[in-house]
Amino acid sequence: MAEIQGGGDSQGKGGKKRAKKQSTRVDMTPLVDLAFLLLTFFVLTSTFSKPKVLRMIFPEKIEDNTNIKKPEVRDAVTILVSGDDRIFYYTGQISNATVITEIDYTKEGLRKLLKEKNFQLLTELKKLQVKLNETDEKDTAAVNKIDREVKKLQKESKLVVLVKNDDKATYKNIIDVMDEFMITQVAKYFVTDDGFNAIEKKLVAQIPPKK
Amino acid sequence: MPKVKMPRSTPSLDMTPMVDLAFLLVTFFMLTSSFRSPEPVFVDPPASTTEKEIPKQVFLVTIDETGRVFIDITNAAVKEKVLRDLMVDYKVGLSEEEIKKFIGSGPLGMRLAELPSFLAQEAEKRAKIAEAAAGVPYDTANKIRTCELYNWVLKSRVVADNDFKMREAAAQEKNQGFDKDNYMQFVVKAAKDTRYETVKNVIDVLREARVSKFQMITGLEAKPE
Repeated sequence: MAEIQGGGDSQGKGGKKRAKKQSTRVDMTPLVDLAFLLLTFFVLTSTFSKPKVLRMIFPEKIEDNTNIKKPEVRDAVTILVSGDDRIFYYTGQISNATVITEIDYTKEGLRKLLKEKNFQLLTELKKLQVKLNETDEKDTAAVNKIDREVKKLQKESKLVVLVKNDDKATYKNIIDVMDEFMITQVAKYFVTDDGFNAIEKKLVAQIPPKK
Repeated sequence: MPKVKMPRSTPSLDMTPMVDLAFLLVTFFMLTSSFRSPEPVFVDPPASTTEKEIPKQVFLVTIDETGRVFIDITNAAVKEKVLRDLMVDYKVGLSEEEIKKFIGSGPLGMRLAELPSFLAQEAEKRAKIAEAAAGVPYDTANKIRTCELYNWVLKSRVVADNDFKMREAAAQEKNQGFDKDNYMQFVVKAAKDTRYETVKNVIDVLREARVSKFQMITGLEAKPE
């Protein structure tokens, strides 16, 4: 595309010798090709969603666990996580008369249950959140005060949730349950090691699987 | 009637803005993209709503559906030191070159005794072998402290601790700022369909080595209102 004009010597003798005027245009097509090639490559290979992490703290192993106080389960909610994405819950201590209800991992299932059970703490925390939004960020004393109140509320929370899993439960199930705890801000929850006990096994087995 | 002559013009157009834009985008993607590190197994983690980013320095424990365990240490210096220590413990002989190869070879999923023959292979063959490897052995029965995973974790924890202290001391000497959060953290990446019991068994091994804080890798899920 660069035009080259031949026969620039038409001026005759005696005339000033002028520098040839050459077009300054450069063919940019290959450059564009390359740029788009690279662009396509990076668009296709880049991974946008960086993985996130969920923090979990496990207690340190103790050799002699006879003296450890088991968490009080008087008003506790026990969540039973089983295979095939099935999940059950009951409140209080287990006995043959306990009603075990099957729920699911949807918004209307586990989250609704936890929200209802944790209603008191949730509303208190919401109030504090509003207060926190109103206060000036630079006012560290006030922010710390709210922070302390949040911690206090969490400590005094009456809701205790126990999570038990059987050997068919998948990792995803447990992470989902943990995630629901975070969403509904459950302050006290425990994942137990021992699996289902005999009564729980029996009662769960009596519940027919949903279609 | 004479034909109407269309004025001939060269069909070229000014591409400069397009090139500008294209290179801008190239630069953007080049700078923002991070390449996925080579993985012997593809593991699809479950999603959660947390927004915490993965730490800079990690000891990554990958667990696949069948319960195979792969480990990787992102800090090359720590990885090398741990390997050297374990070579003595397990009486595995590796040349300097092989150690270098190991550090660059991504997650490990085999017994230490298998390492020399593995590293002697060519790169393409290595990838295949790594895929079919049986995983780092872990035993949750009574002999928990003799399994290789336990030793890897224990050594790494100690070495990383020392490394952290050394960096802190060096930074203090030079009166430089020191990033206190830049220490090695234990990250567990397990597939969705791994049985929780398996994950727990692996975590039990780590707990035995006095590691109790874990970061579980999860995909991102939209936060509910």
